[in-house]
Amino acid sequence: MKSYKFRQVIKENVGINNPVFVQILGICSTLAVTNVLKNTVVMCAGLVFVTGLSNLTVSILRKYIPGRIRMMVETLIIAAYVIIVDVVLKAFIPDISRQLGPYVGLIITNCIIMGRAEAFALSNPPTLSLVDGLSSGLGYSYVLLIIAFLRELLGSGAIWGFRVLGDWWTNWNIMIMAPGAFFMLALFIWVVKGNFMKEKQTASASPQAVSAGSPPQPASAGGKS
Amino acid sequence: MSEAKKPNKLRRSLFTIFFMFAVTLVFIAVLSLIYVLTRDTIRLNESLVVKRAVLYVAGLEVPQTGIEADALYQKRVVEVKKEGEVLYYEILSPSGELQSYVVPVLGAGLWGEIESVVGVEKDLKTLTGIEFIKQNETPGLGGRITESWFKEQFRGKRWPLSTVPEGDPAGDQEFQAITGATNTTNGIRDILNNRLARAEQAIQASQ
Repeated sequence: MKSYKFRQVIKENVGINNPVFVQILGICSTLAVTNVLKNTVVMCAGLVFVTGLSNLTVSILRKYIPGRIRMMVETLIIAAYVIIVDVVLKAFIPDISRQLGPYVGLIITNCIIMGRAEAFALSNPPTLSLVDGLSSGLGYSYVLLIIAFLRELLGSGAIWGFRVLGDWWTNWNIMIMAPGAFFMLALFIWVVKGNFMKEKQTASASPQAVSAGSPPQPASAGGKS
Repeated sequence: MSEAKKPNKLRRSLFTIFFMFAVTLVFIAVLSLIYVLTRDTIRLNESLVVKRAVLYVAGLEVPQTGIEADALYQKRVVEVKKEGEVLYYEILSPSGELQSYVVPVLGAGLWGEIESVVGVEKDLKTLTGIEFIKQNETPGLGGRITESWFKEQFRGKRWPLSTVPEGDPAGDQEFQAITGATNTTNGIRDILNNRLARAEQAIQASQ
């Protein structure tokens, strides 16, 4: 039963209820940090860390947090973890920290984190919330990594900073700029929804209908950014 | 929780305030601890960014580790200051004689200030290198000024400089612009020409 719940949560966050291409959350950073793969990896690692641990912390405290100030407490917890990420980056990989600039701090405003804390961690036990947070982060990360891979390849002819396409390749400057991310994200959503989502939805609809009520149904998050 | 059983408004409010206070206190304590633990490393990193840049533009080989880079900097670089700010750096040869200069160069790029250091020979005309310390140019376009090919092309060039299109052969007083980043490249050309002229006067005046 328990492992079923875990699997269900992961499936929701990585696939059928993916924060980026289904809920369209966290788009700001999807557009901002996906032009170079290396920065994207660091950003995603930071986000997975923050979603996982903020969900865990909110879930541990969920029985004590007074309802009226729960948003304040959540923001405080999220901000604290983001500051930890920022400080660690500054101390151990200063080069990438300088390149990411304000975007690390802006993890605080990533709606996925607040959304998972509100919608999931407040009403579920700690371990499950941790898994939910981590898998939401992963669901976000792999989408960003695919977009970053394609943008860096088309926009700079390079991957991870190494040039892979020869001199014959003319860089698509649009891919490096923010509009390029819009195009890439839209194409990505189109391809995924057109080819994979339909089957997945019908496949997952039947077991849910049979065991109605028993699997947890993480509500989709509220705010959008 | 007795608070939950007795729906007493005052006690509930007090608990709310106390809870927020306690949570804040705990997190601030943890963050302060982490801050104190990493403070020295972060300061060292920040000062090393400039020190490494100075060594790099002077054409010296920059050691991998921070401690070695710092030691080399102490040995070979003299900061000439005026009113607390570094006016320019003197680079010494291994035997301790003046070898060349490094000048801090600031100016406007496309989106924000570009902060760099530029090395010049003793004649104050020939560049030994350039390194960017802070820039906010468009990643992948103007941001490419930090790429090695762009920085390396300045070694041995003489100012005043002008630009040629990317990929074209550049003469003694020319450097290759970046395609799609005309404003950034022109900004760099202008701040180099202006600031190096000013630095020339300042260095000559102080001798």
